[in-house]
Amino acid sequence: MKAKKQKTYQEKPNLPSLVSPWLAAVLSAVIPGLGQALARAIKRGIIIFASVVSLVGLLIWRFQGAAPRDTGVIDIVLKAFKLQSIFIVIALFFALMYIWNIIDAYQVAKAAGKPESRKPFLVFFLIIMVFFLIGWQIGRIDLYGFVTQFDDSFPILSQILWPWEKAITYPTEEIIGIAKLESPCTDSPPQPEPKDDKPYLVVEPTCGFPTIDEVGKNEETGDWERVITQGTEIHVEGFNFDPGKEIEIWWRDSAGRPYVHRDLETGTNLKVIPDEDGYFETDLIWPFQIGDTVRTNVEGVAEWELQGKQISKVGAWEFSEELELVLILLIETIFIGMMATFFGVILSVPVSFLAARNLMNANAFMLGIYYAIRFILNVIRSIEPLIWAIMAIIIVGLGPFAGILALTVHSIAALGKLYSEAIESIDPGPIEAVQATGANWFQIVMYGVVPQIIPPFVSFTIYRWDINIRMSTIIGIVGGGGIGYILVQWIRTWKYQEAGIAVWLIAVTVAILDYVSAEIRERFV
Amino acid sequence: MIEIRNLTKIYEDGTLALDNVSFSVPDGEFLIVIGLSGSGKSTLLRCINRLIDPTEGEIIWNGVDLAKLEGDDLRRARRKIGMVFQHFNLVERSTVMINTLSGRLGYSQTWPALLHRFSKQDKEKAWRTLERMGIEDQAHKLARELSGGQQQRVGISRALMQDPELMLADEPVASLDPVLAHSILQHLEDLNQEDELTIICSLHYLDLVQRYATSVIGLREGKLVYQGTKKDIQMMTDEEFKNIYGEEAVRISDTSLEGSVGGVLEL
Repeated sequence: MKAKKQKTYQEKPNLPSLVSPWLAAVLSAVIPGLGQALARAIKRGIIIFASVVSLVGLLIWRFQGAAPRDTGVIDIVLKAFKLQSIFIVIALFFALMYIWNIIDAYQVAKAAGKPESRKPFLVFFLIIMVFFLIGWQIGRIDLYGFVTQFDDSFPILSQILWPWEKAITYPTEEIIGIAKLESPCTDSPPQPEPKDDKPYLVVEPTCGFPTIDEVGKNEETGDWERVITQGTEIHVEGFNFDPGKEIEIWWRDSAGRPYVHRDLETGTNLKVIPDEDGYFETDLIWPFQIGDTVRTNVEGVAEWELQGKQISKVGAWEFSEELELVLILLIETIFIGMMATFFGVILSVPVSFLAARNLMNANAFMLGIYYAIRFILNVIRSIEPLIWAIMAIIIVGLGPFAGILALTVHSIAALGKLYSEAIESIDPGPIEAVQATGANWFQIVMYGVVPQIIPPFVSFTIYRWDINIRMSTIIGIVGGGGIGYILVQWIRTWKYQEAGIAVWLIAVTVAILDYVSAEIRERFV
Repeated sequence: MIEIRNLTKIYEDGTLALDNVSFSVPDGEFLIVIGLSGSGKSTLLRCINRLIDPTEGEIIWNGVDLAKLEGDDLRRARRKIGMVFQHFNLVERSTVMINTLSGRLGYSQTWPALLHRFSKQDKEKAWRTLERMGIEDQAHKLARELSGGQQQRVGISRALMQDPELMLADEPVASLDPVLAHSILQHLEDLNQEDELTIICSLHYLDLVQRYATSVIGLREGKLVYQGTKKDIQMMTDEEFKNIYGEEAVRISDTSLEGSVGGVLEL
């Protein structure tokens, strides 16, 4: 190595201000920062000027937005003050900042030219303060609402935080007992069909009319109005039901449409509980048909059916469908992340050699390739995987393959950069030493280069795997496969417990993989 | 006998690192090269085993001009020239054993060596060499886990695996403290005296030069400015010394040799 020439760093000469302190103050009052700039604090002047200009722009925008449809500066400002008191604070700080800018110009001009004079910084603090307050207003930050609404949202949050009721189910069995009815009555109405051990219903009478809901003419007033003609009152007896267990009463109308029996007055579903012999009795009114289609048999008779339904849990608990779905999708998610990492590694290794400066500085052409690849990698990396997923979906359609493509593209860019930096930082010493032993090119690479790049490559790969698993859990939000899709579906349909199961299992999976990858990395590096 | 004739090296950026240097080293010599940083010591050593290609001149060794060798011939010549480095240049994440065995690569077949397969004889040789250097119990540690002095012994072991006839040492003790410096140089002296290995070594510390050299050359700005025997260097005057190290050089050590611990040239 050559002995380095001692560079002499001269202190920047402390030039005196071009203007007097008072003039500087006046200039800054007209154009903020001008006084400072002329007092030879040019950068300070530019920063202050740029800050004030952008603040004024922001203020105009926010004030107008807060007081729409008002005209006149004063009206707008007053209305904004009235509607959101934070505008008063913003205006106060802005004024303070503006005044301090004038004082600052005076101080800077006075201190200019004097050695060891420390420049005041309060003006910058005030500028940052105004930006902060505008940010508060733009962000509609509402700590009061955050605290008060937190209570209201607690029932939903608790569903997400403790969703395990939905994680298990019991197999159920429907016990149904039926009776047939006919409308209108014929010579041979349907007869009860008693059974020995199975549940059945007996109705009295077995024929009649359903309730009719129609618009008719009131004879007295002559107005058209809604007329409800009450259907036949029916006495229902049930036999052989499961004692003590709730029975729901259902109808199948003439068109075979099932619906639960509602009490017309209370609007509640009719539920009865059988006694210890499995017997119950109740009275109800034949409800109206849902829809207009009345199906009749060849004799012009509509056939109805009354059902008593009991749902009973049979057998041991089992995992719910939702939990199974979450588990299946989690596996898919992990594999999306894994495959993306796999493809990313395979493709980024060659790319990383082209993006390593110490390998690509042989001539201008190679250096050109280096810069081109670096540029492309930077562009790809700056686009989020979610956006890549949307583009991939356009090509290959919804599903895990789109997610894999998106994460692969992003992985190539990210790993290409990390790998190439690992290659750039290898120590040339061992290469030289292995070369000196008379080794050939392959041996030099294997003994001098590879041992140096393997550990960082492994480390970066696992790190990327980690990121890819995490990303793959949300890539489904846009349709890229994995668990994200169903998670968003559940949240949008207010199925918070199901969503909670997904959130929990994602968290657990990511935490486990996080731990595993940290362990592996520690072993290698 | 190694003979350097009119060796010149001009780097691509135009730096003249070696300027028409000629000297010869009889077999069995412990030649020490002194000079400022940037005087061309490292370039000279690297020209001999062609880690750097000289611009002009000849390096005649055993009747062959090393400067003209290419490909396999060059690799065959290199494997007879061991080299140790200032910063040891071990692969820090490989084991001591692998680092040592890598000295044998010039003799190995390519493909088995890529899979870290070495012959039984090579492995035995590696054990013997590590034993000789006193670090056989470190064999399975990673190189980076060793202290500086131990790492340099691995460096020497690697060079010895080559069955060298010539040993180049580029400031082998500059990264070590004085006590370790002596211990490393004593290893080299052993090799020089017992194995009759020719050693060309660059050094910074004057008392080490006076203690170990059997002959000395001095470089300044790429030119050979001093050539002397062991006797000459011990009687070196400040005039000669400044001629090599430049006017700003200060000799802070006591010029009497006995018991001088420092003897470091403050440059």
